[in-house]
Amino acid sequence: MPERIERSIEELYRDDPAKADAEVFGRETGPSRRGFLNGAGLAAMGAAVGGAIPFAANMPGGMIPAAMAQSSPAGMPPSASPAPASAAPKGPQYLKFPGKSDKLVVLGERPLVAETPENLLDDDTTPTDKLFVRNNGQTPEENKEPDKWKFVVDGEVNNKLELTLGELKAKYKPVTRRLVLECGGNGRSFFTPQARGNQWTNGGAGCSEWTGVRLADVLKAAGVKSSAVFSGHYGADPHLSGTGVTLSRGVPIKKLMDENNLIVWQLNGQPLPNIHGGPVRLMIPGWPGSVSAKWLNRIWIRDKIHDGPGMGATSYRVAIKPMVPGDKPDEKNFRDLESMPIRSIITSPANGTKLPAGTKEVKLRGAAWAGDLTVRQVDVSTDFGATWTSAKVEKPKNKYDWQRWTATVKLPSDGYFEIWTRGTDAKGTMQPHIAGNWNPQGYGGNPMHRVAVLVG
Amino acid sequence: MTYSHAIAAARLARLLLFVTIGIALSASVAVAQTFTPRDESPEEFPAGAGRDETFYTCTACHGFKLVAAQGMNRRQWDDSINWMMEKHRMPPLEAKERDAVLNYLEAAFPPRAPAGGGGFQNPFMKR
Repeated sequence: MPERIERSIEELYRDDPAKADAEVFGRETGPSRRGFLNGAGLAAMGAAVGGAIPFAANMPGGMIPAAMAQSSPAGMPPSASPAPASAAPKGPQYLKFPGKSDKLVVLGERPLVAETPENLLDDDTTPTDKLFVRNNGQTPEENKEPDKWKFVVDGEVNNKLELTLGELKAKYKPVTRRLVLECGGNGRSFFTPQARGNQWTNGGAGCSEWTGVRLADVLKAAGVKSSAVFSGHYGADPHLSGTGVTLSRGVPIKKLMDENNLIVWQLNGQPLPNIHGGPVRLMIPGWPGSVSAKWLNRIWIRDKIHDGPGMGATSYRVAIKPMVPGDKPDEKNFRDLESMPIRSIITSPANGTKLPAGTKEVKLRGAAWAGDLTVRQVDVSTDFGATWTSAKVEKPKNKYDWQRWTATVKLPSDGYFEIWTRGTDAKGTMQPHIAGNWNPQGYGGNPMHRVAVLVG
Repeated sequence: MTYSHAIAAARLARLLLFVTIGIALSASVAVAQTFTPRDESPEEFPAGAGRDETFYTCTACHGFKLVAAQGMNRRQWDDSINWMMEKHRMPPLEAKERDAVLNYLEAAFPPRAPAGGGGFQNPFMKR
């Protein structure tokens, strides 16, 4: 163990400002510690202020940044400042962000990940404030001239395209579709043993109105060559370490050419918010959300399977031959998760609802979706799956819309009940009781959703 | 540069990040949509040997809340560090540091008892 005499920044500066500057801003780190400084610190700062970083060099020598004073209560020396007010949150931590519901549950702040509790998905169209957030890198600064936002389509194309959002709007016909957006890891928390990653329940999904142009129209203009095999999508969000690509995933050309894919700039009729990838993002519905690149700046048409960060190994991949849960994975035994699995959720009543004594009947509302497929059937049970009742399932507004459903269930007495729902997709595949096909990063977890109610 | 100074520097770097964003926020309405992560500190997480090293190793890139949300055995934690280095640009750790980090992760965030209900928790149970 290294010598552990930890000194605060204040102490460092108090003792020897010049030395502190050399050590803190000089950034001549040893090989073993480069991640702390070169990778994360300065570069991250640079990204936050918009690239160039004359910042560190311009800091007055030997001066503690003004914020150090701000972090201490007035009149108290810095060393006497109490522990950060942001002590570990008890229970769920809720999102505090302009334009977002304060009932979204934060799974992580760096990167920002927040899910929507099932009962908040009770609207037919998910309002923007209730749509989940899954960022993988730093959240970029908001673009102030969206129509000048530029992206390229290159690689295996006859005409490399460089388009601004303004040109995109002018040249192609806009369409609006209600589309499910779902994180590839949705349902991860249901795996046993625990799978690695953000512990989503069912809230890494939502279904909002997206406006944009068909990706296929843009690809037609680019002229995709017969050598094209796969795509690679890139966004402008900086890696958490401050340098390099955060995430770049893609899809086979057949999926890429699907007429339901959009390049979007509006969410629920409003300009696409920065936090959701604005001004421009991809919407490749039905597949893990990570292929729908946010802050889109490049679509690379490739002559082989894409190998960007987030492709290969066990990322967004599931085991071909079922593996022993918790075992070390054999990476040769994995394939990409493509279409998302069937999922049905109860959006009303909320889990934990108390009903008046003597309640004999409960009206249920919910939603179901199934990746590339439609939902054939939704069933509900109040007796742990011993008996089932079919729900009334609405038709989707358009392909890749979710399907709302309603049902009424009878309760025989007061007491504790769990209401379960299971969906069946168009091919007859039904949700399992528990998350199966365990994989190290927990993809494809879609066990039946259950909510508990207490009567009386 | 000593380890403790590296930690201090990492703290300052992150503090400056927040300051910078704070300045930007006051200067421009548009930037108000940039999300500012809450600052975390090691003290928020289970005490144990190697906690601070682990905290500053992981938080060079991502929040520690993500780490604390995992529950794995030592082999899985070790795999995760390899995965972080191979796929997520984590700089390699010296053997002694890696050991210290693994010791902490193994002790502080072991596999959780199977929930039985696959993550479902009865909301009415008195805790």
